[in-house]
Amino acid sequence: MRWWLSRKRDADLERELRSDLELEEEELRERGLSPKEAHYAALRAFGNPTLIREQTREAWGWTALERFLQDLRYALRHLRRSPGFTLIAVLILALGIGAVTSVFSVVNGVLLKPFSFRDPDRLVVMREAVDDAATGRTAIPNNYRHFLRLKNGAATIEDAAIFSQTGLSVSSNGDHPRIVGAIMASPNLFHVLGVEPMLGRGFVEADAKKGSDNVVLLSYEGWQAFFAGDPKAVGRTLRIGGQPITILGVLPPGMRFPQIALAPKTAFQEMAHDALLFVPLAPSERDLTADMGNFNYKAIARLKPDVSLAQASAELDAMQKAYTISAHLPLHFGIALTPLTKDVASGISGALWLLLAAVGAVLLIACVNLANLQLARAVNAERETAVRAALGASRAQLVRSRLTESLLLALMGGAAGAGLAFAGVRLLIFLVPANVPRLDEVHVNAPVLLFAAGISMVAAITFGILPALRSLRVPPRAALQANSARTANTQEGRRTRSLMVATQVACTVVLLIVTSLALRSFSHLLHQNRGFDASHVTVAQVDLFAPQYDDSLPNVKAVKLAFVDRALAALRQLPGVQSVAITSVAPLTGETWVDNITRPDHPVPAGKEPMINVRWINPDYLPTMQSQLVAGRNFTAADRANPYVALISERAAREGFPGEDPIGRKIINIVPDDKHPITVIGVVADARINGLKDDAAMVYMPHWAFTPWVLSFLVRSSQPSDALIPEMQRAIWQIDPQVAIPLLKSMDDQVNDSVATDRFQAIVLTSFGAAALLLALLGVYGVLSYSVSLRRQEFGVRIALGSGKGALVRLVLRQAAYPVLFGAGIGMVMALAALRWVRSLLYQTPVMDPFAIGFSVVLLLAAAAIAAVVPAHRAASIDPMKALRTE
Amino acid sequence: MEKQEPQRANLLQGTLDMLVLRTLLYGPAHGHQIGKHIQRTTNDFLQMQHGSLYPALHRLEERDWVTSKWETGPDSNREFKYYRLTEKGRKQLVVEESQWKQMAEAVARVMWPAAEES
Repeated sequence: MRWWLSRKRDADLERELRSDLELEEEELRERGLSPKEAHYAALRAFGNPTLIREQTREAWGWTALERFLQDLRYALRHLRRSPGFTLIAVLILALGIGAVTSVFSVVNGVLLKPFSFRDPDRLVVMREAVDDAATGRTAIPNNYRHFLRLKNGAATIEDAAIFSQTGLSVSSNGDHPRIVGAIMASPNLFHVLGVEPMLGRGFVEADAKKGSDNVVLLSYEGWQAFFAGDPKAVGRTLRIGGQPITILGVLPPGMRFPQIALAPKTAFQEMAHDALLFVPLAPSERDLTADMGNFNYKAIARLKPDVSLAQASAELDAMQKAYTISAHLPLHFGIALTPLTKDVASGISGALWLLLAAVGAVLLIACVNLANLQLARAVNAERETAVRAALGASRAQLVRSRLTESLLLALMGGAAGAGLAFAGVRLLIFLVPANVPRLDEVHVNAPVLLFAAGISMVAAITFGILPALRSLRVPPRAALQANSARTANTQEGRRTRSLMVATQVACTVVLLIVTSLALRSFSHLLHQNRGFDASHVTVAQVDLFAPQYDDSLPNVKAVKLAFVDRALAALRQLPGVQSVAITSVAPLTGETWVDNITRPDHPVPAGKEPMINVRWINPDYLPTMQSQLVAGRNFTAADRANPYVALISERAAREGFPGEDPIGRKIINIVPDDKHPITVIGVVADARINGLKDDAAMVYMPHWAFTPWVLSFLVRSSQPSDALIPEMQRAIWQIDPQVAIPLLKSMDDQVNDSVATDRFQAIVLTSFGAAALLLALLGVYGVLSYSVSLRRQEFGVRIALGSGKGALVRLVLRQAAYPVLFGAGIGMVMALAALRWVRSLLYQTPVMDPFAIGFSVVLLLAAAAIAAVVPAHRAASIDPMKALRTE
Repeated sequence: MEKQEPQRANLLQGTLDMLVLRTLLYGPAHGHQIGKHIQRTTNDFLQMQHGSLYPALHRLEERDWVTSKWETGPDSNREFKYYRLTEKGRKQLVVEESQWKQMAEAVARVMWPAAEES
């Protein structure tokens, strides 16, 4: 209702009432009453004018807003009278809401926000799945031939694209090349995603032919990086792998290609850089003909409208199973589909949801604290409430005015919290491991602010409802007569306060148990036996993507070997170097080069051979990594002439040669395109070189048998890595300035980065756990000191009657002990339920860890005891004379 | 002889609206007239404070069952706020009247069953 309109209406009503009242008076005077008598008689007949005005306004139906404004004014006045409380309450709420909002904005950006593709809900990630009676169902990458059959035959999918992610070596302006994230994709990829290039054209089928595939699309970021956003970039060339490649077009700025794992077991690190380049995928002869092996691709499909995920899964799975049977494939293949958003976030979603739940619990504990403060204030304001009730305020009005106060606090806290969230998000992004997908999409935006507003409302109701309902139960007469301390200290008031303490304690126990388990898990992860020593080792990955190392050159093998020999020799010359090794895969980058142990002397059905990871190393690898040789011998320089020798890990020995001595046995099909039998010459202790959580079986072979294009140099030196890193770079580029060095850092850093998610989880959970513990401590302290202050007189009487100090302290402590112990018990039961969800986030840590549970409970009880001692001491030192005089 | 205090009843909630509408059927009237008319017609049985009339009048106006206008009274030169029944108000009166009738009949059937049979 507009303000001037309501003014006019008020004046109108006033005039109407006055004119009718005057008429009544006139009539009464005509009947012979004196003017004074007539005036009062008319008023009597008329009724209470104020009430009439109120009721009439009520009839106008616009009073809800007016009422709210009145409540708001009242609440403001009330809060202004206790600035200390208001400040603390707003501060607690701002921190709580700010923390929840920050975590939510990460959850929103990483897990919830849809991709900026056309109808992103219909996009699914497609993988093949192998069914095995022993190990269950394992998702694996796609085989090109299998993919083509499914894409052409399936009725539930509109279109599907196949691609692989790789690093390409790009050199612009004659600099050393750098490795840039790239997608090699079937030409229809952008059709599947529903994205049009903003400059130039997209791929057509003809681009995916060998010979005409030297074209590239740039992502918006790539366009900025290599051409500084020059609109004439289309048609120009970019030197990729030493070859000039033509720019076909540029993709729009919103298009960020999601990071999709090849298979669930591949570490995130491998995909750390975003794709800047898109090149057409021209299938090789082997891609088109091989049914087994060659599982090298990722695939993304668009479901037809109105087709559910379950329907599409069922159809594709059935097609693949039927083909497995009709083509007599040795494994049981199926198809597994996951929605794109879910798949991309699969590595981090559990941790993020856990953090959201944890920060929510902290906010809940804070709300209980505030409810407690509000309740004490409501009791202190009881006389006022009673006066208002006596003057005719309805129950609804009383509840409303108290709730309005809570709402006002929550809105102030929420606004401050939303402000804090801007800083909080920045802090979280700093803490979150860099390989978490879609981090650049994490912002405090409209949905996040809406969430903050919603959570403020919920908080207001959570901490405001109890005190509000409490004011309903105030009997006006009793409250006006009695001393407020006595009304407050009823059985019921005590029970409410105990319940709140128990709630806080229960939430805190759950949070502490989860936190200590996460810390145990993280500590176990770092301190378990790794089978290698990372300290004093520096790792440099080198990619030989240059024309002189091209696959098609006849002497490429010798050229690569010559580079490795020169690099090893140069690195050995650096100061403080003890040994230099090479390995084909940088440590802690997940499972790659997965193959099988095939034994000519002991054939097993195809697909049943034990899986192993192959690494190409030199003889210095074991001493550099300080991995132990368990049996047999290491490689020596003498093996260079006949490099068909292998070292296997203990697990590979167990699985490939159960109950046998593997030394001297033959295996085949490890060296690409080479059937020469390989002799096992030694067994190496298991080492977690793929990742601290990974214990895959390994086969090591000398790089003389095969030198891959991507290799890592490991340098063990007494020099610190910081000093060594520029030296290593200079040494490698002195030998060949055309090679790229995408990774160069200390092995300790590499280890730390590989457990970034676990560290993030542990750090953030610890800070939430500490916050919860602090809040619980404050809560117990607040409730106890309040109840001691209410019972001052009682304690005074007790002391006057001869009660000892010790007895009083025990009395107060006992009062604290019941709700705390009860809450701790409830918390342990709740933890049992919660831990089932947490189990998957812990690494080899039993959730029923008595140490973690016991530690959490003892920590909480100690905190509660500290919180209780001060009020208990205060109760014991009450001066009976003073306490009794205040009556 | 003692003067008998006349029996008085409080108006049932909602009934007042119907009575006001019915009164306005005779023609436009201001608040005071409406109050006096209801009191007089029921021989002072329905006792009400005139004040309670105004919330009812404003409620009816809010629902567009009546309209109001400041006009000069016929036998004075003072202005009064006159209320007039609208077409919508007329229909509402029919509705409320029939509801009231049904209710009264229902109550009667319970209270005086014999009269129904004979």
